[in-house]
Amino acid sequence: MILVVGGLASGKRSYVKTEYGFSDAEISSSISENYPVLFDLQDIINSDADSERFFPALLGKRVIICTDIGCGIVPLDPAEREKREAVGRLCIRLAREAERVVRIQCGIPQILKD
Amino acid sequence: MRTLVIGGGASGKSEYAEELFSGLAGKKYYIATMMPYGADSLWRIEKHRQARRDRGFFTLEHYADIGGLRLPERGSALLECLGNLTANELFSRGLTEDEAFESILSGISSLALQCDDLVVVTNDVFSGGNRYDEGTLAYIRTLGRVNAAFAGRFEKVFEVVCGIPVAIKG
Repeated sequence: MILVVGGLASGKRSYVKTEYGFSDAEISSSISENYPVLFDLQDIINSDADSERFFPALLGKRVIICTDIGCGIVPLDPAEREKREAVGRLCIRLAREAERVVRIQCGIPQILKD
Repeated sequence: MRTLVIGGGASGKSEYAEELFSGLAGKKYYIATMMPYGADSLWRIEKHRQARRDRGFFTLEHYADIGGLRLPERGSALLECLGNLTANELFSRGLTEDEAFESILSGISSLALQCDDLVVVTNDVFSGGNRYDEGTLAYIRTLGRVNAAFAGRFEKVFEVVCGIPVAIKG
C-alpha cells in the first residue's frame, strides 16, 4: 500500500494517476473493495473507532490518499478535534505499514519512505 | 545540540521528540506548558504523561515565562510546546505580540544555557487559511515569528509528517 498525503488541491490525485497509472474509475472515496485507490481518507474517519473498523480494509488498498487536516488552528469543536486527532493517528499507523509514503506539495512529490 | 521539531496535530511530533532522548545520559526534563482546562485537556495531558512514564523524564509544569525556570540540575530538556506557550503568554499573561515574542525568545535562550541538549516541539498551525478573529491571527503571527527565530538559531530542525521525520535543517 502506498500512502499519499498533502494539502487540499496539492496534486495528490494527479500524482497517483500519472505515477501509478490509475484511472478516475479506479479512484473512489468509498472504502468498497471495488476500488484500488481510496481518495479523501479524512472524510470517512471521525474517531479512533472508525480507524479500527476500516484499518483491515485500508491495508488492502493499493493507494490511500489523505488530505492533511492537522496544520490549521486546533478546532474549538470537540468532535472536530477528535476527528483531526484520529485522522493524524491513523496516518501514522498507515505510514508504518505502507511500502511507500509520499507527500505532495505544489504537485511535487517528496518521498518520505520507500 | 538544540533541535526544533515541528508538525501538525497528531503528526507524531511528540513521539519523535521523545525518541531523540533515548540513550541519552544524564537528567532528562520534560517541560510541560499545557494549562489544564476541561476534560479534553486533562485527557490529553494524561495521555502524554503516560507515554513519557518509564522513559525517565522528570516533568516540570511551566506554563509561561520560561525565563523564570531553573532546572534542578544540569541535564537535557524537552519543551512541549511553543504553541501552548505562545497562547499562554498572549492570552493568560496578556502580553502584546512583541512582548510575548521577546519573553519566549529570552526564556528559551536562558533554558538552553542550562541544558546539554534541548529539544523544542512546536506546532504547524499555518495552513488553515486566514479567516480567523484578530486574537487568533495575532497568535498565528507570533507563533510564526517564534518558530522562525528558533529555526534560525537552533542547529537542527525536523518536520514530522505521518510519524516520519523530515530534516529541514542540519
